[in-house]
Amino acid sequence: MPLAIELKSITKRFGAFVANEDVNLAVESGKIHAIIGENGAGKTTLMNVLFGLLQPDEGEIWIDGEKKNLPNPAAAIAAGIGMVHQHFKLVPSLTVAENVFLGMEIRKGGLIDHAAQIRRTAELSRQFGLQVDPTERVGLLSVGIEQRIEILKVLARGARIIILDEPTAVLTPQESRELFQTLRGFVAQGMTVIFISHHLEEVMEVSDNVSVLRLGKNVATRPTAELTKSDLVQLMVGRLVSFDRLPRVASVGKTVLEVEDLWARDDRRLPALRGVSFGVRAGEIVGIAGVAGNGQTELAEVLSGLRPSSHGSIQLNGRTITGASAREIRAAGVGHVPGDRLVRGVDRNASISMNLLMGRQDQSPWSKHGIINRAYLLEQTQALIKRFDIRARGPESTAKSLSGGNIQKIVLAREFTGDADCLLIDQPTRGVDIGAQESIHGEIMRQRDAGKAILLISVQLDELIRLADRILVMFGGTIMGEIPGDRVDEEEIGMLMAGVVPEAHSNTVGAA
Amino acid sequence: MEVLERLLNISLVVATIRTTAPILLVALGGSFTTKAGIFNIGLEGQMLVGAFFAVIGTIATGSPWLGVLCGVAAALTLALIFALLVVSFKANEVVVGLALNILAGGLTVSLMKAIFGTRGSIFGHGLVGLPALRLPNVKDFGWFGQIISGYTPLVYAAFLLVPVLILFYNRTRLGLYIRVVGEKPEAAEALGISITRIRYVSSLLCGLLAGLAGAHLALGYTTMFTENMSSGRGFMAVAILIFSNGDPLKILLGCLLFGFSDALSLRLQTLGISSYLVLAVPYLVALIALFALSYRSRPRVIQETLASMGRALSVKSNTIQPAAATDASKP
Repeated sequence: MPLAIELKSITKRFGAFVANEDVNLAVESGKIHAIIGENGAGKTTLMNVLFGLLQPDEGEIWIDGEKKNLPNPAAAIAAGIGMVHQHFKLVPSLTVAENVFLGMEIRKGGLIDHAAQIRRTAELSRQFGLQVDPTERVGLLSVGIEQRIEILKVLARGARIIILDEPTAVLTPQESRELFQTLRGFVAQGMTVIFISHHLEEVMEVSDNVSVLRLGKNVATRPTAELTKSDLVQLMVGRLVSFDRLPRVASVGKTVLEVEDLWARDDRRLPALRGVSFGVRAGEIVGIAGVAGNGQTELAEVLSGLRPSSHGSIQLNGRTITGASAREIRAAGVGHVPGDRLVRGVDRNASISMNLLMGRQDQSPWSKHGIINRAYLLEQTQALIKRFDIRARGPESTAKSLSGGNIQKIVLAREFTGDADCLLIDQPTRGVDIGAQESIHGEIMRQRDAGKAILLISVQLDELIRLADRILVMFGGTIMGEIPGDRVDEEEIGMLMAGVVPEAHSNTVGAA
Repeated sequence: MEVLERLLNISLVVATIRTTAPILLVALGGSFTTKAGIFNIGLEGQMLVGAFFAVIGTIATGSPWLGVLCGVAAALTLALIFALLVVSFKANEVVVGLALNILAGGLTVSLMKAIFGTRGSIFGHGLVGLPALRLPNVKDFGWFGQIISGYTPLVYAAFLLVPVLILFYNRTRLGLYIRVVGEKPEAAEALGISITRIRYVSSLLCGLLAGLAGAHLALGYTTMFTENMSSGRGFMAVAILIFSNGDPLKILLGCLLFGFSDALSLRLQTLGISSYLVLAVPYLVALIALFALSYRSRPRVIQETLASMGRALSVKSNTIQPAAATDASKP
């Protein structure tokens, strides 16, 4: 089998830190090759080396059997490599065609030939089965279509080897499936696809071969068919990790959090929540699923007092807390693990102990007569560092010196050790590696078993399936439906996430 | 009725075109920086040095055209300093713009004192203005001929630049890149378009037109230089730019409005209304119009909100039920 790409002994260092160490990677031509690994395993660095964004300290890059030197992305593009970044770089006010040809405009007599660009975009769109309307303005389009445009951009530049960096992170399951079909189409036309992913199901579903990176080293490259999901996890993490639904006993108590007909607006003053109602009982985890941007963030903000609601009521243990301030809500017994931990979870420049103190600095025994009890704080910090397995040099290390997973553990350690009855947990494992994910999940389950009412918001379906007792699916600011956690039909959830109510529930909705 | 007739006639149209031209030139200049994502408050100062050095150049060489060149060169120098500080050294745009405006004001006054030993205005000293262009055969067009003929060349340049800029932004590569750099710099960067270079080019193009605007003020609109003769036109242009988002056609409309009220205010003076009050008219009219314009865009948000509320309401009754029903079924 001819090789599209061969990386030989690539080593890339950043100062003392080795991002890639002696990595060998062979990608067969005409195949879909997945690259997986935990955060910080060196996937992105390796791809940036391949795309000419970074220069390797050692090693060789061979493309289609020829040794290449790639000093910049332009050289990589000339060699037939295209990269679709995780964050789209499209200009909203320009049309699809203008975006596709931005930087390589078709010109006639010195002026941009819009008609030719539109024609060419339509041709590419047809040839590769990526449906777009070349004349539409990008600002009006959905994320899924934006991704198609990014792929078209790469194709228009003549790429034969396409790298996709976590392409499904922003897509609904249906959109992901369409993307996979497109990728299958590419390899059928003799092109080569490399895709970076966290999602093992996807890797199993779509890839022909898979390479696993761990701690900057290439651990294995195998045909996907020879591996199981748990083999992959073991290769990634270096030990056995279970991803099944966590065992539990039903222990549901009285309703702690009761939300009724809640409405709220987003930052642009448009309705973000439109009549959301649900309850969370003691000892249960209620999951909120949905594609990011469908009101989940606003829901968490309203419940924690960070955003005003425009209508509806919120009750905690039968007491109305609608319109209360964040401080009052905390005092009433709500703990909040915010979705963006660096913005609202911790003060990155403060020490671990200060971050653990925050919010209870005026409570005994944390402080007395307005003076912080340092001895108690230090003792508690050390205990929490141990209990939550926070990997840090010491209690006085700053939060920003820690990895994402450890920063998240600080937030959990603070929120889970207060006397909250209800916990709002927003994206607890976003950007956290698998090892830390496992311990965070374990901690959430312990809180459930201790009788806390937990609202868990996550864009990762597997996380919800693992933890939630029931899952509510949000779309366009409403709750589209509820699914029991132990009988999850991914198809059904996917439909709800896309705003389509399956037949069994209703037959009139879907245009929202 | 008689009053209205004295106010509104062909010569008012002509006067409007004359008064619109300088602010149109400087606002079109500002369009480059606005589109490139730079908030350029320094238009006033660039215009002022443009006017001053156009006069100096004309007196020194005897040719108003060389004077225009001097004015443009001076404005370009100021624009280059602006770009250097704002683009390369990443200084705050407003602070740098204001500082350069103050510098321009002080510089022109002190140079006037040093060279001519006076304060106030410069005229005479062999100063000649740009010639007015009489278009051939305009008599055949009647009143229309009266309107389109007899201006100094930079008036024509200002109005012709509007379609040129529309073409520039829509059909040329540089125009497209300026827009991309202003709207989504990450996209420009990812495609290897140098943001720094584009912003420098925009700043200099802006300086070029601001210099022409100043030169026109001193050699076309009048034939003299007066202390602070830009008299807030640069700031008015900034206001128009904010509301037009740098679109040439909207700039034209904004400037015509300003020019019209300026021309009208000159007329009102002849009716014996206090000149102080009258001089405030164009600024007032422009501000009120701009406010009204921004106020009109507010109901759009309300409309959208209502529309989405309406959609939500029609959907809500169907979608909440399944969740609510399951909630209720569990004790």
